[in-house]
Amino acid sequence: MPASPLQPFFKHKGWKPFPFQNEVWAAYAAGKSGLLHAPTGQGKTLAVWLGPVAEALAAKTPPSSCSILWLTPLRALAQDTLRALREPLEILAPQLQVEARTGDTSAAIRARLRKSLPFGLVTTPESLSLMLTHEDTRAKLANLKAVIVDEWHELLGSKRGVQAELCLARLRAWFPGLKIWGLSATLGNLDEAREVLLGTTHLNAVTVAADLKKEIKVETIIPKEIDRFPWSGHIGTRLAPQVLLELDKARTTLVFTNTRSQTEIWCQELLSLRPEWHDRIAMHHGSLDPAERVKVEQGLRDGSLRCVVCTSSLDLGVDFSPVDQVIQIGSPKGIARMLQRAGRSGHQPGKTSRILGVPTFAMELVEFAAVRDAAAVRHLESRRPLKKPLDVLVQHLVTCAIGEPFEPDAMRREIQSAHAFRDLTDAEWDWSLGFISSGGKALTNYPRYRKAHLVEGRYTVDDKRLILQHRLSIGTISSDTHISVRFARGQTLGTVEEGFISRLKPGSLFVFAGRKLELVRLHLKVATVRPSKGDARGNIAVWGGSKMPLSTELSHATAARLRGEGKPAPEMKAVAPILAIQKRWSELPDDRILLVEHARSRGEEHLFIYPMAGRVVHEGIGALMAFRMRTKDSITITQNDYGFSLSARRGLNLSEESIRLNLSLDHLLEDVIACLNTAELARRQFREVARVAGLILQNLPRRGGRSQREVQASSRLLFEVLERYDPGNLLLLQSEREILERQFEFSRLHSVLADISNRPIHLVETEHLTPMAFPLWADRLSATFSPGDAATRLEQMLQELNQAAK
Amino acid sequence: MTIQIANQTLQLVADSAVLLDDGTLVVADLHLGKATAFQAQGLAIPEGDSQADLDRVTGLVKWHQATRLIVNGDLFHSPAGLTDEIQRLLETWLNDLQIPVQLILGNHERKLSFIPHGLNPAESTEQAGFHIVHDPKDAPDDRPTVTAHWHPVVKIADGKRTSLRLPCFLLRRQMLVLPSFGTFTGGQILDPEKGDRYFVSPGEDIVEVPSELIRG
Repeated sequence: MPASPLQPFFKHKGWKPFPFQNEVWAAYAAGKSGLLHAPTGQGKTLAVWLGPVAEALAAKTPPSSCSILWLTPLRALAQDTLRALREPLEILAPQLQVEARTGDTSAAIRARLRKSLPFGLVTTPESLSLMLTHEDTRAKLANLKAVIVDEWHELLGSKRGVQAELCLARLRAWFPGLKIWGLSATLGNLDEAREVLLGTTHLNAVTVAADLKKEIKVETIIPKEIDRFPWSGHIGTRLAPQVLLELDKARTTLVFTNTRSQTEIWCQELLSLRPEWHDRIAMHHGSLDPAERVKVEQGLRDGSLRCVVCTSSLDLGVDFSPVDQVIQIGSPKGIARMLQRAGRSGHQPGKTSRILGVPTFAMELVEFAAVRDAAAVRHLESRRPLKKPLDVLVQHLVTCAIGEPFEPDAMRREIQSAHAFRDLTDAEWDWSLGFISSGGKALTNYPRYRKAHLVEGRYTVDDKRLILQHRLSIGTISSDTHISVRFARGQTLGTVEEGFISRLKPGSLFVFAGRKLELVRLHLKVATVRPSKGDARGNIAVWGGSKMPLSTELSHATAARLRGEGKPAPEMKAVAPILAIQKRWSELPDDRILLVEHARSRGEEHLFIYPMAGRVVHEGIGALMAFRMRTKDSITITQNDYGFSLSARRGLNLSEESIRLNLSLDHLLEDVIACLNTAELARRQFREVARVAGLILQNLPRRGGRSQREVQASSRLLFEVLERYDPGNLLLLQSEREILERQFEFSRLHSVLADISNRPIHLVETEHLTPMAFPLWADRLSATFSPGDAATRLEQMLQELNQAAK
Repeated sequence: MTIQIANQTLQLVADSAVLLDDGTLVVADLHLGKATAFQAQGLAIPEGDSQADLDRVTGLVKWHQATRLIVNGDLFHSPAGLTDEIQRLLETWLNDLQIPVQLILGNHERKLSFIPHGLNPAESTEQAGFHIVHDPKDAPDDRPTVTAHWHPVVKIADGKRTSLRLPCFLLRRQMLVLPSFGTFTGGQILDPEKGDRYFVSPGEDIVEVPSELIRG
């Protein structure tokens, strides 16, 4: 009976274990690994934690060293996790210690942990990786029974996830009997998620669902006058007065937005409508200073806050106190995300989670109806794992070589037991070994370079300075350049992306962390600001990559709604007049056909094309099509989640055949690379790759000085040098691949075009801009595509330059 | 392209050099051995082509039939980069040039324990009516000066998606700042001052960049 030693705790709490908890404990006791998925706040932590605890309690001799590693993706979660893990131990086994070791851990605790590790250790992938660089880690973990990876869905698909995969591979190679358990939100590809977590060598693993058939209710605030409701836009504060009425009905409300800037805007709007709530409305997003965030979380817990406006920073969290009500501003763009957010209310098992949607423009009403349909059948998005990021591999290889010298063949087997690298080729492996030892394929180009070297058939790194350098560079995986925002007096407000702040000049006004600020100066990664009294409405802090595209699954559900499928819904009733106009002037877009509208306005021609595939893919297809048409005029491209538009002075009156030709799969990759200025983008992406691969030195604290500055170079320059003197360097190729996937969702683009090739094209000549076309037409801030490849464009600019010079 | 500074003239020549009226060619910031310095620190940066950079200088000297060469600082990158191989390259190069060469000391040379022979190092010099010194902050206000050190770069945008970053000459009041000559040298976009003029050499000619095409 695996559960029996746990009885006292449940008795103390007056709880009964859930069936899924019993299931996980039994599987663990049988020596199995697995993945547990559940909505938030469902006793997941206890399910995976108490198995190992029961094991320790049942052991004849109490564990004397570290038995369990608990990996958490966010170090901000470490403290909450510690609390949750310690609680049952106080009753069951007060002698067992749990500690956290993350980047936030104080030097004193860190030093103590260097001496000996507690029964349970909470840590992050970076800190685990760092531990592997210490030669005594293997001995210290000799008693390790299990590794538990929390919020695995957050790591999956990221480089930090791959870092975790590699660390797990190392631990599995050291301790073959090791059990590995993951906790995940529900995903569309749970089995794959489990395979990635457990690696290629794991057999006999289980997936446990803790889906307690929680009922989720999606409701929508219906705008009163639909014909006055905007056809486009994304801020949507028009419904703010109605949102305030809803806030009055509940004690605590979370208002989720999709972007950090929308968070700022909504917070300002609600406050301006109800100034007397200035200490009861707060905001929470990932760029805020941790101290500020903790204050907000505390305010929600003790009820002093009525409403918190937030982004996905609150999607996570162990035992985040539930709220009475969840409001979603704008479409959630994904089904899993909507479920996760809804789960923040009605936390108790059996209680209904309710989410109230606030559309920001008319078509979002359809999306809310669609997301309800998809949630009801639990048709969720998948999260795709990364394949072979070599920058992470070379970093890990150096990590391993520092910890203990490795034999290449054994190491290759270990690496390939990680899902991300199961298809590693000989060429890629040889290149990686070369990169860490002699520099690269073109050996003669690296005469002075030596990092790892072979001693008796094993790779080792023994230069103290290099070891120190490498340890500093671990943990640099995907941390974008952020500028910290501070008052002159020293109080830190949070961070913004460099790209945003560098566009501002001293004296510019902007809104950040709910305050109106004036930029005083920007110096060395610190933006000094002061409160401003002026109106800063125009400049809300924006963050890169914040606009999520509509997920594939939700796109299909939306198309189904437009076709008229599904039960009657108030949203569809409300939006019906607009859809009727669309039908009268053209057709409704659908994912079974390809609707194309051709229209003229003010001396311009427009093509509106609706693949229904999400804005990122549309951006790619739009640019591709403009490129393939090879017109002499420049073409303006805009896109949203339903389609894209091309506008030009002439030349857009295309036949069906020529549209199809422009959307064909032939030479897709070459054309995409040619038209999207991929080289320039890859150069930018290279910054991250170079940092992870250890080509850019991290600043040594307090040791900066001259010698350090001598070896600083911009990633742009490194990219150019590598391109010229070592073009076969695989990191260059990787940058290109990453940018295609990240920036343009290339795989999705490919499958959408494949799908379109089988869809009939409905080409409609329209007299007016239709309701679907209008938002595309109105959104003309986007880039103009100038004809010709990069080289021609360059020439053109130089010509202009020359002419101007004459 | 000939430009006039105060009452003196000089010629900007492609790519990245200056020809004075007395036939003296001035280049700066080659940073020889920079990649080697990186490698010595455990960074896998491939060796740039020091030989090619030196050959480019030789080519310019021959083409313009220069009678004298001044390297206006930062010929070398660091002590670790001043390898035996670089010294050998340098010796051959000096022999081939067959004209007097003078090295104006740059900040990077100050860290070297020795300066290879034949470079006649000096803190600054006067040549054909110009004061020549490496660091713009050492430039006197009241006479025409040729400096380097900043590695100036200008960003030219066409108002659409593309922009170009090109190394450039900067003329600020009486001071000319040379672009960096070495292949493995970065550059920076400078805070503009009123009256600044920028010149680039995208091909074989030098063009002045009109201020309306410059992006900060």
